[in-house]
Amino acid sequence: MSIKHFDYVRASSCAEAVALLSDPTHISRPLAGGTDLMVLRHKGEVQWDRLVDISQVPEMRTIVQQGEAIVVGAAVTHAEIVEHPLIQRYLPLLADACHSIGSPQIRNRGTIGGNVANAAACADTLPALVCLDAVARIVTKDGEMAVPVKDVVVGPNRTSLPAASVIRDFVIPIPPAQARMAFFKIGRRQVQSISRLSLACLGWLDADGRVAEVRIVPGACTPQTQRFDQAEAVMLGQVPTEELVRKAGQAGAVQMIAITGRRWSTPYKELALPALIERALRKVFGLPEVR
Amino acid sequence: MSELKSLGKPTRRVDALEKVLGTGRYTHDLKIPGMLVAKVLRSPVPHAEIVKLDVTPALKVPGVVAAITSEDFVDHGNWGFPVKDDYMLAYKKVRYVGDPIAAVAAETEEAAEAGLQAIVLELKELPAVFDVHEALKPDAPILHEELAKAQAEETTSGELEDAEFIEVHGKGNLSETLIVRQGDPLSKLSECDVVLDAAYSVAHQEHAYLETEAALAVPTADGGVTVFVGDQNPFITLSNLVMTLGMPGKVRVVQSPHTGGAFGGKSDMVYETAAQAAMLAIKSGRPVKLVTSREESMIASYKRDAMEMRYRLGATKDGRLRAAKIECWADSGAYASMTPFTSWRATIHAMGPYHYEDCHVDMMCVYTNNGYSGAFRGFGNTEVTAASEQAIDELAEMCGMDPMDFRLKNCVELGDTLPFGQKLEYSVGLKQCLERVRKISDWDRKRAEYSRQPAHQEIRRGIGVASFFHGLSLGAEGLDFAEHTIRLGEGNKFEILTGLSDFGQGSRTVFSLIASEVLGFPVERFQWLPCDTDVVQECGPTVASRSTILGGNATRLAAMRLLTQLYDAAAMMMGCMVPEVRQEGEVFYGPAGQRVTLDELIAYARANHIPLSAKARWEMPRIHWSFAKGRGVPYVAYHFGAQVAEVEVDRRTGVTKVLNIYAVHDVGKVVFPQGIRGQIIGGISQGLGYALMERVEFEKGYIQNPNFDTYLIPTAADMPVVTVEFVESELPFGPFGAKNVAEPSMVPTAPAILNAIYHATGRRIRHLPANLERVLLGYDLKDTVTTTVCQVGVCERAKCEL
Repeated sequence: MSIKHFDYVRASSCAEAVALLSDPTHISRPLAGGTDLMVLRHKGEVQWDRLVDISQVPEMRTIVQQGEAIVVGAAVTHAEIVEHPLIQRYLPLLADACHSIGSPQIRNRGTIGGNVANAAACADTLPALVCLDAVARIVTKDGEMAVPVKDVVVGPNRTSLPAASVIRDFVIPIPPAQARMAFFKIGRRQVQSISRLSLACLGWLDADGRVAEVRIVPGACTPQTQRFDQAEAVMLGQVPTEELVRKAGQAGAVQMIAITGRRWSTPYKELALPALIERALRKVFGLPEVR
Repeated sequence: MSELKSLGKPTRRVDALEKVLGTGRYTHDLKIPGMLVAKVLRSPVPHAEIVKLDVTPALKVPGVVAAITSEDFVDHGNWGFPVKDDYMLAYKKVRYVGDPIAAVAAETEEAAEAGLQAIVLELKELPAVFDVHEALKPDAPILHEELAKAQAEETTSGELEDAEFIEVHGKGNLSETLIVRQGDPLSKLSECDVVLDAAYSVAHQEHAYLETEAALAVPTADGGVTVFVGDQNPFITLSNLVMTLGMPGKVRVVQSPHTGGAFGGKSDMVYETAAQAAMLAIKSGRPVKLVTSREESMIASYKRDAMEMRYRLGATKDGRLRAAKIECWADSGAYASMTPFTSWRATIHAMGPYHYEDCHVDMMCVYTNNGYSGAFRGFGNTEVTAASEQAIDELAEMCGMDPMDFRLKNCVELGDTLPFGQKLEYSVGLKQCLERVRKISDWDRKRAEYSRQPAHQEIRRGIGVASFFHGLSLGAEGLDFAEHTIRLGEGNKFEILTGLSDFGQGSRTVFSLIASEVLGFPVERFQWLPCDTDVVQECGPTVASRSTILGGNATRLAAMRLLTQLYDAAAMMMGCMVPEVRQEGEVFYGPAGQRVTLDELIAYARANHIPLSAKARWEMPRIHWSFAKGRGVPYVAYHFGAQVAEVEVDRRTGVTKVLNIYAVHDVGKVVFPQGIRGQIIGGISQGLGYALMERVEFEKGYIQNPNFDTYLIPTAADMPVVTVEFVESELPFGPFGAKNVAEPSMVPTAPAILNAIYHATGRRIRHLPANLERVLLGYDLKDTVTTTVCQVGVCERAKCEL
């Protein structure tokens, strides 16, 4: 592991960050929390000669309510999200997902924008953000664009982000008051572990007690984090029952295999995923918890 | 014995402040003006012939001052004990990924790195072998041709009774065969009402000490070298340096004030690191520091051996054990290292602390190209107990008996004879440990309650037990002694000089408490000197949980001698006869109301040139084990203990949470209460990792998880509530009755957890670790995209597992 010297510059706005990242005289990488970047550097897998620090850009550092949405700056840390009253009140799913990440040290440094842009297949905020219909607002040298998070990450460590762009923030619609959410994660130890499988789930019932909306998004499961519409279809318009959540779980497993084919981990995940789906649906729709 | 004043009373660890304040210095912290930085070129392949190796181009790199290969050492740096099969830098061949080949010293890290790049190395890859059974086949690639040839010439010549066995398996990569023999278990098994025949395995485990291997070598004016290290055995480091550098009398080894953990792992690679740094210092005439990176440490250092085991146990239908036929294959890896010794301890403990009429154990240590294996907490016993205590549980179930009752029915007691002919003459507290752990864990109620969980229940609890024994100290491995000095030092404090290292286990505090108890002075009256081979006496290695017994006894005897010197001085000072001197703490009284404080007495002694310095040597009773007959007395006595684990298993995801561990250990006598609790809890955390998550993943010889992002060890959140109690069945010749504790603390943890998982789920996991897949599916899954061709230090699987 050779130690490479490099420049460092701190951006004070998104526009400045984009300008710095576009500078053709440097190979630049954006630096937010550095929790992924420093590991890559240690492994010598990426090259750069300048880091553009975007962690202090004011417009990327806030969590605010704008009308019917919460806007979370991309440079907000996981720890800040976990503790923020707006998130706790309206988006507990995101708080749970962020709290499941790494250790306190990693949560104190790592950012939500970095988690998305790094695009690890096991990124814990991805299923939560996709489940919450979050839209990333991206600043590029040609102006701004808004892209749903589900379309930002197109595969493991692959994004649709244009070169020299930065994610400024995420616009997350506030779910209706009757919505309930759940986030589950399986790791190889209790904390500070990489997701073996996770699940974000959100839904609510209509006045007749039928499922009006349901979103089921597994994490660390498919190359692109996505809603499992076949599992959702089992529930939609129905009165939730034990039998129905079991069917939804099975539909989830079938859909997973349809997307990924049978992989080395399939024998495990085709059993564990239905369990997570069932449990999340139970929690969201108020069925008794399993023991 | 009168009531104890210091021993067994809560005490602050003598080096606690330095550690919590961050002022304690470790080898990594050491810096000397003009110091060079060393780096090591390591093998990128598992098995190859060195066709060409030229370090002269490295010397042309700006900043590089010295470069070395095996040619620079005496006899190419050949070393190794008990088998001399290793080299300080590879000679002719490399045998594992990470095998050191050459080393450079340079002004900067960058220059050292560039120097390594410049070395001309041509390797001719050889076929490699990664499986112990494959390695024993006649056509398997041979790792050590010369050793294999010598072995073949030796012939069996009636030395080993089990010649037939060896013939079947071939000899090429078989580094050692070890046996236990009593009766004829195979025929006895055919007479047994109940017979178990099951295969178990355990995985390679990484020590995960916080401080990686490091050495600072400083050339001395006489052309010699002083090496600062953090190791377990300063005198073995010294012997190996003298042997391979070839400068007797001119080498000195000084331990750094602190060492960041060892767990059995600060041996071979520290010797190599020390020798490489020392040779570079000699060649450059400059101080040289060599610090390994985490990846380098994990790839190049030895591991706990992986072991495969077949257990055939027989019992009567009412649950009386009769016969055991046990076969084990230990993966020694590329070098023998300590594997012949760990495997020997494994054979002795493989049947557990129970009665058998007939018992055979056969252990084969096999060379492969999977890194290499050596000492790790428990030293073979951890490996076999993971299997044997599951086998005992399985047999208990076959007999329809509660596992606790089954163990109580079969466990050894004082006066019983172990199945290799040793009569237990002292300190056998196993039955008390089992009875106590049964009570404090509320075993009977929980066992019954968890057995009644309905079949459909998804989150299930289980409770399991494991009991065990662990032989004290080195046993029949070799001469077992320690020699300590207590002498007056600066500030009127008494210095305790020892060759035993304290790398975190707390032996400094134990020795202080023992000296305090004997002399009647507070613990603060004692202080420490670094373990320096020019100053302290050899005490044997700091291994085998032997410090308390060996060093404790040497301290006790030295303190008693010092006390007579103090009484002599006090009598002189007060003008009375020695028997008239009376002592209360740090004050001495004469018959006529004379009163002298210790500080006054010391001043008097200094003024009158009365030396206050006492040395004492203590040796374990000598014993004999017949390696050829597989019988004898392997250890003078044993630690006994039992742990109960209570788990909660999610039967639909495989997630296992350990809720409680109840640990009751027969330690003879508690010397340092906080220290002994720390040992037990620390051991349990390593045992929990061994049970559930730890496994060094070798893929065709390449370690796939060489850092803590992928090699997982338990965090605080994985730890259960731990309840610790002690049985104190005094060891007559232990210091104040004390036995050992460091290794034994982890030995029973993994099987207790596995037995609890079985109780919860009805699924027996015979192969460690019991990861998510094994708990959920009953078998492991293998990632097919693992990396096999990669550079040392950067080889790693994709971080996410899809």
